[in-house]
Amino acid sequence: MTDKFTQSKLDRCISCGYCLPACPTYQLTGDEQSSPRGRITLMRALQDGKMPFTDALEESSFCLGCRACEPVCPAGVEYGVLLEEWREISWQGKNRPLIVRGLFEAVKSKWRVRAMGVISPTARERKADPNLNLMMGCFERVLFPKVSRTVARIAPEVSITKNQGCCGALHAHNGELERGKEMAKELGEKLSGTILTTAGGCAAHLAAVIGNERVNEFSQWWSAQEKLLKPIEKNGKKIRIGFQDSCHLRNGLGIFKQPREILKSLGDYVEIPDASGCCGAAGSYSLLQRKNSRKVIAKKIEDIKDLNLDYVITVNPGCTRQLATSLRRSRVKTRVLHIAQLIEMAVN
Amino acid sequence: MSPAPNRDNQKLVDRLTALVGAEIVHGDAVALESYSRDATPLFHGLPEVVVTPRSTQEVEEIVKFAASTKTPIIARGAGSNLCAATVPLNGGIVLSMNKMNKILEVDRAQMLAVVQPGVTNQTLDETVAKEGLMFVPDPGSKNVSTIGGNVATSAGGLRGLKYGTTKNYILGLEVVTGTGEVIRTGSRMVKDVAGYDLTRLFVGSEGTLGIFTEITTILNPRPRAAKYGVAYFTDLAAASNAVDQVVRAGILPATMEFLDNPCILAVEEFAHLGLDTQAGALLLFGDDGEPDFIDAAVGKMAQIAAEVSGSRGVTLAADTAAADALLYARRCSLPALARLGTLSILEDISVPRPIMSDAVKGINEIGKKNQVLIGTFGHAGDGNLHPTIVVDKNDERAVHGAEKALKEIFEMALALGGTITGEHGVGSAKLPYLTARLGEGQMQLQRGIKSVFDPAGILNPGRLGS
Ligand SMILES: Cc1cc2nc3c(=O)[nH]c(=O)nc-3n(C[C@H](O)[C@H](O)[C@H](O)COP(=O)(O)OP(=O)(O)OC[C@H]3O[C@@H](n4cnc5c(N)ncnc54)[C@H](O)[C@@H]3O)c2cc1C
Ligand code: SF4
Ligand code: SF4
Repeated sequence: MTDKFTQSKLDRCISCGYCLPACPTYQLTGDEQSSPRGRITLMRALQDGKMPFTDALEESSFCLGCRACEPVCPAGVEYGVLLEEWREISWQGKNRPLIVRGLFEAVKSKWRVRAMGVISPTARERKADPNLNLMMGCFERVLFPKVSRTVARIAPEVSITKNQGCCGALHAHNGELERGKEMAKELGEKLSGTILTTAGGCAAHLAAVIGNERVNEFSQWWSAQEKLLKPIEKNGKKIRIGFQDSCHLRNGLGIFKQPREILKSLGDYVEIPDASGCCGAAGSYSLLQRKNSRKVIAKKIEDIKDLNLDYVITVNPGCTRQLATSLRRSRVKTRVLHIAQLIEMAVN
Repeated sequence: MSPAPNRDNQKLVDRLTALVGAEIVHGDAVALESYSRDATPLFHGLPEVVVTPRSTQEVEEIVKFAASTKTPIIARGAGSNLCAATVPLNGGIVLSMNKMNKILEVDRAQMLAVVQPGVTNQTLDETVAKEGLMFVPDPGSKNVSTIGGNVATSAGGLRGLKYGTTKNYILGLEVVTGTGEVIRTGSRMVKDVAGYDLTRLFVGSEGTLGIFTEITTILNPRPRAAKYGVAYFTDLAAASNAVDQVVRAGILPATMEFLDNPCILAVEEFAHLGLDTQAGALLLFGDDGEPDFIDAAVGKMAQIAAEVSGSRGVTLAADTAAADALLYARRCSLPALARLGTLSILEDISVPRPIMSDAVKGINEIGKKNQVLIGTFGHAGDGNLHPTIVVDKNDERAVHGAEKALKEIFEMALALGGTITGEHGVGSAKLPYLTARLGEGQMQLQRGIKSVFDPAGILNPGRLGS
């Protein structure tokens, strides 16, 4: 277990403040302590023993972990890694939120993860290309079993095995960094060749541990296949589509053009203002910080409403859930789908 | 550089809470630590309390209280200054102005805006752009720095040569002085010489004469077109020569910025623009205005840049997006340079433009002599250079070398008839060198001025005028 930050990563930050405007929590409060720069200042104080780790717990939880602060940082500060280290150090024992403990229990072993899929019908096992394996996800299995079934239908070359664990992103982001890395490695050993995932968050975590070349997020993979698609129409008109980035896919892996290109070929693509900004799902954040999570998404829901969209498309199950529940709560009719599901509509 | 005295702050917090309410008074350890730094390396100090006012009246009450109790007040915008002007070295109140961030008025007819101090430079510029107008001062930090901070440092930027700096754009101010009195200086008119120009005095006062609560700024018409290009040279001296030739040819472009090789490498690593990383220097030049006019001016600049000795080639940006990417990359030079080491100390000397190449050569020699890496970038058109020393903070020899190099750079700048800070300000970082620049007589006058506005000596004490 880590008990210190990697000093060289802390040293990288020169406190220039370039990251402030990109940070959703800073936008909410305007307080330095809820900005990336402020949080790094706090980490430094913790590292130097000027402050006990228990002091800044609130800020370590308030942070979405969306990593919007990374691509805008000219100094190349790896904030995501620092945050993982922070939670690893301070979210131990009674300082670990109860919900997180529960989530960890649920995905503790392969059979438990597999059992989650039993409740809801996910894609069937099959042997296709041995070097292209679909990752089933853990919570995605329960929440959106349709997504894996869709991928199975539209991408016949993909092999599917059910006996696979969780990628460990959940752990890495919630104070079990080492365990999270081990789980990613185990998954990397279990599935050979390229691992295809429909969850942007999982893609980023897996790639960080087992290497970019072994991981393909679904929209990234699809756009490389160059399969031609026809626009989808509704009542004789092209459908209006918006898109919500997956934070880690965009900020961690730099993937944001590919899904947009696909969507442009499928209908009338409209860029939602601040589509790159976190929707507030942020992994387990929507469970741990319900109120703040709602505050983060509030403006986005208004924007989607104003745009009069038929669909908002996502590339990560957490975002699907967050957007769908929030839109429903606000009685907005726009439907939320994973990009694979929209592609299937075009294929048929 | 000394840590703040760790006084028990409870009494102060309680009294301020009683005065202005708990919502804007923050005395917990996390808040205090968060406001303990600005963008200046090596400086750190804890305030006793952080207050985030929402109105002029709240500022007034806080300042009156501070004056009566002799509590230091450090006004803060975005904390992006590079001279340790907002690090609370003597405890006290950090007065964070960033929540007073409304744009109160954009007057198209009079071409001016009235804003609260906490609005960021970029927000203001983007807002007035919708009216076809432009807020001219554009420091590298424009996406984060506040107008209040810009005024208090008279921030410069990437188009100083043609347009000047913040000081040329401020018409009037509402200020809470050190006694808690609210005054309004200047007016909404470009012409107004009634009395001493207090507005100009407050510009660049670094939070030591008063707290700005409202700012009236001049706006320009937004230029219809802009064009930028990049020229590469074997070294900075050749680039300086090109700059000199351009100005001698009677061209006064908006932008002439340069980067030396370490800066090119660092920026390219961040921005991936396909810059020529083999070049010794890069000159980013460009102008804005009427399309025909700038085509001619930028074409002429490109020609001059291609013809000076040491030129390695010139390319013009294909479109606005490409030009914006270049300008953005230039703004990022400083933080990008931080990739090269764990401690970067940036300087801000200014010298008369025609002898800039002497300064550039001097900087290189100083770097070699003290065995430290110096990356230099700067506003070439203004003779304003930012030599940045990048070292490993654990390497004692290198840190010592950096300190020596710094001192020698200042001495060189003064010897060349230049100044120790062109735009970043004095703060705590450059205060030790100020007497060398101004002389004892002027230092006396500066102290005298401060005591008129701030008799209790509570506004950013230990800095300008103290
Ligand atoms: C990457 C980077 C690039 C930069 N590029 C440039 C550049 O090109 N040109 C340039 O000039 N500077 C540049 N700077 C320096 C800095 O951004 C400017 O000095 C800026 O004007 C500071 O604004 P701020 O809001 O951050 O103010 P702060 O840093 O918070 O404060 C600066 C000073 O203003 C005072 N102050 C703030 N608000 C008020 C108020 N309401 N009333 C009274 N006093 C107040 C403070 O007390 C302090 O003395 C750069 C900085 C960085 C980090
Ligand atoms: S994280 Fe990067 S952008 Fe943010 S303050 Fe630090 S160096 Fe600047
Ligand atoms: S990860 Fe997101 S919420 Fe956290 S500091 Fe960075 S930008 Fe802000």
